[in-house]
Amino acid sequence: MNATKNARLQVGVLFLIILLCGCATPQTQKILQAIPENLPAQIELTDVPFYPQETYQCGPAALATALNFSGARITPSDLIAQVYLPAREGSLQVEMLAATRRNGFLAYEIAPKLEDLLVEVAAGTPVVVLQNLGLSWLPKWHYAVVVGYDLPRQEIILRSGLTQRQVLPFTTFEHTWARSAHWAMLVLPAGNVPRTATEAGYIKAALALEKNITSEEAIDVYQAALKKWPENLTAHIGLGNAFYAQNDKALAENIFRQATLKHPQSAIAFNNLAQTLFDDRRYVEANSAATQAVSLAQADGGEALSSAQQTLQQINKKMLRADLCQSTLSGTVSISRKGRIRANKRGQSISKSRGAPGKTLDNAGCAE
Amino acid sequence: MNQNFIRTTGRILILSMLSLGLPLQSVQAAIIGADKVTVSTQGQFDRERIRNIIEREDVRSALEKQGIDARTAHARVDALTDEEVQRVAGKLDQLPAGGDVLGVLLTVFVVLLVTDILGFTKVFPFTRSIQAR
Repeated sequence: MNATKNARLQVGVLFLIILLCGCATPQTQKILQAIPENLPAQIELTDVPFYPQETYQCGPAALATALNFSGARITPSDLIAQVYLPAREGSLQVEMLAATRRNGFLAYEIAPKLEDLLVEVAAGTPVVVLQNLGLSWLPKWHYAVVVGYDLPRQEIILRSGLTQRQVLPFTTFEHTWARSAHWAMLVLPAGNVPRTATEAGYIKAALALEKNITSEEAIDVYQAALKKWPENLTAHIGLGNAFYAQNDKALAENIFRQATLKHPQSAIAFNNLAQTLFDDRRYVEANSAATQAVSLAQADGGEALSSAQQTLQQINKKMLRADLCQSTLSGTVSISRKGRIRANKRGQSISKSRGAPGKTLDNAGCAE
Repeated sequence: MNQNFIRTTGRILILSMLSLGLPLQSVQAAIIGADKVTVSTQGQFDRERIRNIIEREDVRSALEKQGIDARTAHARVDALTDEEVQRVAGKLDQLPAGGDVLGVLLTVFVVLLVTDILGFTKVFPFTRSIQAR
């Protein structure tokens, strides 16, 4: 009697679970109904290495899989200190992203779409996914790496846990993946742009990576961005700054100048151009760029204002010193009431006559 | 009680050190970082920065509570972007942590076994979904 009651209860619970866990797999249906044109019917990245996970450590294992495929030389145990949380017996998504960058690779979260995931795999990039292998109220969180798929057979192929080649039906994969809100990330060498990348998404990933890599690698990262999105302001500034950090002032100037032409409202572009010109001792040009930067920053109330004011100040200081020197030589100096030099006109006329812009004030022998 | 005191003192120290840092920073070379392109206004930036410093401190202490030693926790928080810190601050122990936890009770075992076979879950390595061809 009691046993049947129990059995009924269990069946009831089971029924409820099936109702609750959501049985639809809309993304799978969508793909299978209309297979996107440029998607190959099947692909498997057999070169992706396999690191059988030790207890609970699928985070380090999945990350090592993707990192090594992208060219890193690192073992899961090296990554434990970077991503594993002993008390949670697992790894957080943000730390998977952060650890990727710490090792010098671009971490990119793709859109939560099965189609994008397949496109990336087809483009030759394994995709790290977070799955909930259990149920929403009984979670069993797990990282795995998608390395292939087969559309006719409706199967997806993963490196997962202790299984080197796990083959899951699309629908099962979608059920487990949907519970993590379709979270997936890519691990790419600096300078690679994901096939499905959005402009904002890539720039965000690039900025986050920037502080973990050399300026030489940063050049690759931003040049790749400009190749795909030639107008992007952040990429211009990032590229210019990387050249500046490498002490390649001519290239930095060139990039900042392009930025001011494409984004005449950017105080940052003008400010960084001014600083680069200043370093090159072309004070007159620097002054006009810095003046523009200050007035733009004042107009938009942006964060650049204090930096721009400072840039202008240091240029003015330098010019004042040089100008006073000059005045003892030529006897002409014009200083406004506020102490600012009317250097633009005069400086330009001087530089014209000497044919070497910017260097003129130093040539007077008074600089420093 | 004691921990609260330490935390409050820590926050005050952070804020005072931050205010020390503000004028100092403005002496450096005037190249502006690419990350500032998307920041809108100065006031907003300052507020964000202060909030982020507090949140970073929260995440760091939460990491230590999870069994990470102090120095490692510091490096790990440093590796997060401001936005990522915001994503985890205050809820580190509730967020999904991928790790393959096997601690399933017996009744639940049966349920999961069935859902595995139906293809809704994939808890057990030995199950084969009826949806697989």
